[in-house]
Amino acid sequence: MKQRISRIKQLRATGLLAMMLICLSPNILNAAENNERNGSKKNNKEVTFVRLSSDQYRNAIHDIFGESILVRGNGSSSGVREAGLMAVGERRLTLSASEVESYELLALDIANQVLHPSRRRTLLQCTPQNEKTLDNECAAQFITTVGLHLFRRPLSKNEIDAYVEIARSATESLGDFFFGLQAALVGMMVSPDFLFRIERSVPNPESPSTRQLDTWSRASRLSFFLWDTTPSPALLEAARSGELMFDEGLNQQIERMMTSPRIEDGLRAFFADMLAFDRFDTLDIDSNLYPRFTKNVEDEAREQTLLTIADQLLNKKADYRDLFDSRQTFLTPALAALYGVPIPIRQELGGKVPWVPYEYPENHARVGLLSQVTFLSLFSHPGASSPTLRGKAVREHLLCQIIPPPPPDVDFSLVRDTDNPNFKTVRDRLTEHRNNPTCSGCHTLMDPIGLALEVFDASGVYRTTENGADIDTSGQWAGQDYTDVNELAALLKDDPTLTSCLVHRAYNYGTARASTPTEVQWLNTTHTQLRNEGVRWRELMQRISRNPDFYTVPESSMAEEQ
Amino acid sequence: MNLLNTGTTINLRISAFLLLFGLISGMFSNPLFAADNIETRGYVISMVHTASYADEQTCPSGTNGSRPDVLIRRVMADGYDREEAIRIINSVRINGGRDDAGKIVGTAITIGGGAAPGGIQSWNGLDFNPANIPGALPDPNAFNAEGRFSFGLNLDGEAGLDSWEHPNTGERGIDNQMWRVLGCWDNYHVNKPVNPYNETIAWDTAVDAMPAWLISISGEDLDQDGEVTVTFDRALNIPLRDAYGSIMSGASFALDTNPRSHNVFAGRIKGRVLTIEPGDFYIQGESQFYPHLRFTNTQLRFELKDDGSLEGHIGGYQPWRDYYHYLSVRGETDGMIDLIGIFYDLKRFADAAPDPATGENTAISSAYFIEAVPAFHVDGEGSLLAESVGAGPKFSGPAVSQYSNQQ
Repeated sequence: MKQRISRIKQLRATGLLAMMLICLSPNILNAAENNERNGSKKNNKEVTFVRLSSDQYRNAIHDIFGESILVRGNGSSSGVREAGLMAVGERRLTLSASEVESYELLALDIANQVLHPSRRRTLLQCTPQNEKTLDNECAAQFITTVGLHLFRRPLSKNEIDAYVEIARSATESLGDFFFGLQAALVGMMVSPDFLFRIERSVPNPESPSTRQLDTWSRASRLSFFLWDTTPSPALLEAARSGELMFDEGLNQQIERMMTSPRIEDGLRAFFADMLAFDRFDTLDIDSNLYPRFTKNVEDEAREQTLLTIADQLLNKKADYRDLFDSRQTFLTPALAALYGVPIPIRQELGGKVPWVPYEYPENHARVGLLSQVTFLSLFSHPGASSPTLRGKAVREHLLCQIIPPPPPDVDFSLVRDTDNPNFKTVRDRLTEHRNNPTCSGCHTLMDPIGLALEVFDASGVYRTTENGADIDTSGQWAGQDYTDVNELAALLKDDPTLTSCLVHRAYNYGTARASTPTEVQWLNTTHTQLRNEGVRWRELMQRISRNPDFYTVPESSMAEEQ
Repeated sequence: MNLLNTGTTINLRISAFLLLFGLISGMFSNPLFAADNIETRGYVISMVHTASYADEQTCPSGTNGSRPDVLIRRVMADGYDREEAIRIINSVRINGGRDDAGKIVGTAITIGGGAAPGGIQSWNGLDFNPANIPGALPDPNAFNAEGRFSFGLNLDGEAGLDSWEHPNTGERGIDNQMWRVLGCWDNYHVNKPVNPYNETIAWDTAVDAMPAWLISISGEDLDQDGEVTVTFDRALNIPLRDAYGSIMSGASFALDTNPRSHNVFAGRIKGRVLTIEPGDFYIQGESQFYPHLRFTNTQLRFELKDDGSLEGHIGGYQPWRDYYHYLSVRGETDGMIDLIGIFYDLKRFADAAPDPATGENTAISSAYFIEAVPAFHVDGEGSLLAESVGAGPKFSGPAVSQYSNQQ
């Protein structure tokens, strides 16, 4: 560890990293590179910068350098949600000074591991003549090879020369060729070309007035969309050959990726985004009030939801709608205790968390995603359940509707007064709250959904009373009555807004932007077709990936460039 | 019923697993298990410690004090008066603990049991851990519990001179000679909500590492008075803790199919109190402190609490060496006890199972406090054997001391 810190200090002390960041900033890079980029030549234009998420960063490092490389920390702070997705918000983000420093430290640590004497031979296909001086050819070979994967495109000669120069300077300063390579590697890893998906466009030969993503950008979009990681060597090769610019080659790659087990990574990343798993970062259920909600339960709840979705949509090829009334899930001993159900015990002392498949009996109160700890706790207050937050979440995250923020000067005191003897249940308190006409509009949309879930407290534990009063879970959805969450789930499942939201969100997730009118039309048609045929995950991903508009640059983006 | 395939139902069927146990133990002959309308509730034991009760009559001469008092008594047992014993102990850091005649008195520095390495202590010039050979040291004559009250059970059906009265129920003839041995040691001389400290810490360690101990009660309607069957079993998995450190209610436990730790008792519930017909009891532990717990003539008195938990005492005649084993592993330092004194007192107060050769009693009447919280019991295939009924107490287990008053 001491040696690692020492190297980091040495590298940072050279001042090389700051210089690299300045020299390789997007604007300068833009001017320097536009004329030389492989396959795009002069006509290449940058379209969007989409910051890699923490998971994408981690996945990329592991795919490029191996699973044994430890990614100790996150370079970026939390992102922003836009159009219902963090993925779209990543398009708006730049890097703060502190984030640059975090990425730099992360890169130094990773570079140190990658070029550790025990590992360097696997990546370095050449041996330097002298380890104390720069081997120009060997450095260029390393930079060219690694750069292709980090930047998701070939490096230009100028770029290779620039990084070799960094390696030379560091080698001379520190007297070690591998320190020089580390400096070059860190430089590439703090470059916007790695930290951002920089999508570039070329003219569309079939419609010269429009532009489409170039071959390398297509590879990146496809890979992060389907696998949540950097393009594989096979995909990069397809990009290099130009296959991705044509339907046949593109479809071959889509087919290959769709049948890979790694499609689950993409599915998990999408649903973690759509279902607002970023809220786990700040989740703070009060364990004094909800002692079963331990940190382990929190982690396992998150995994339960993703395991359930992956099993239903990929393994069982179920319809997306089935997620909302399925009785099948996976449980651990701690989750089962919280849910109050018995499970087979597969635990071995000292072993991993034993997940077991579980199916709730008929008429059990828990059904589908809405009754899982993930949804119930993410949309609760630390010390109380919240029908309003839960209802708002269903509207916004599952139905793609927008609930405006509350007006100023609203008196929330009654809603918060959980000990009020006249309003024992939250239903009583919210009913009173809705008497305020400025509140009733939105609360009428949100509260009924959440009130059906009131039989689950903030931690997801089942209950039938609140302050000694029976909990009433009845309500109305789209003019139809329901008495409990089971019936609400059935109504929700039949609502076309639910599936339409999925289709639109999946597309926006892939493009990291709002849809154009043309795309909206295509999405609506696709939704109608899928609703009749079955809203199945692979089919949806395939249709989106094959849609030519998915790779077309919208006019608005072109206007932004100008 | 397999949970993987068909889910659970409230109605419980008796699985082949339980029938196998029934055949082994004679339980099959119990008509309760031939009926369809039997409910079985499961529990996991969340707390175990020797039953403690102390009032002003318990130790009229005072308690046995702490470490200095133990050493003084130990040196006095070597033939010194109190003043010289104190001088010897005070001289340990100066001259190694010598008497007025200049002779080293090893008993002044010995600490017994636990992980204390023999090399750091000596007695008469030899490396020596007195816990290993307690009889080699003289009896320090520690104070023993007296008075009228003690928790426990009437094991012999009589109210002899050496028996106690139950402090809550007033029942006479309570047999708990173990309490005479332990009751005047300070960390045992406590009342709820305080628990015997060293046993609490020992259980706190064991419960997170050792397969759980389970109880089940089967009967037609466990909310009413009636005949029941009570089982004790060992689980294959350990208990879970909640955010308070309490043992989590409603967790699932797989029963160990080894019949060694399977105990079945005919019992009855009357006025929400569970009792059993006497019998032998053995349950295997997996802890340095609790290799096992075993009694003959076992009885129990558990209260069925409104929150679904059980609380009360189990007792019987326990081989006194079992308890000495626990204490010697635990050591004198944490327990603030004198292993030598307790060794002699366990032998002295042992009241059952005379050795055919020597005539010395090998077992001692004892009682243990038990708390058990609701739990599901399943077999290896996931079939439900016992339902978890009730939310359980907010605080349970060894990490807290917020118990309700004992019965």
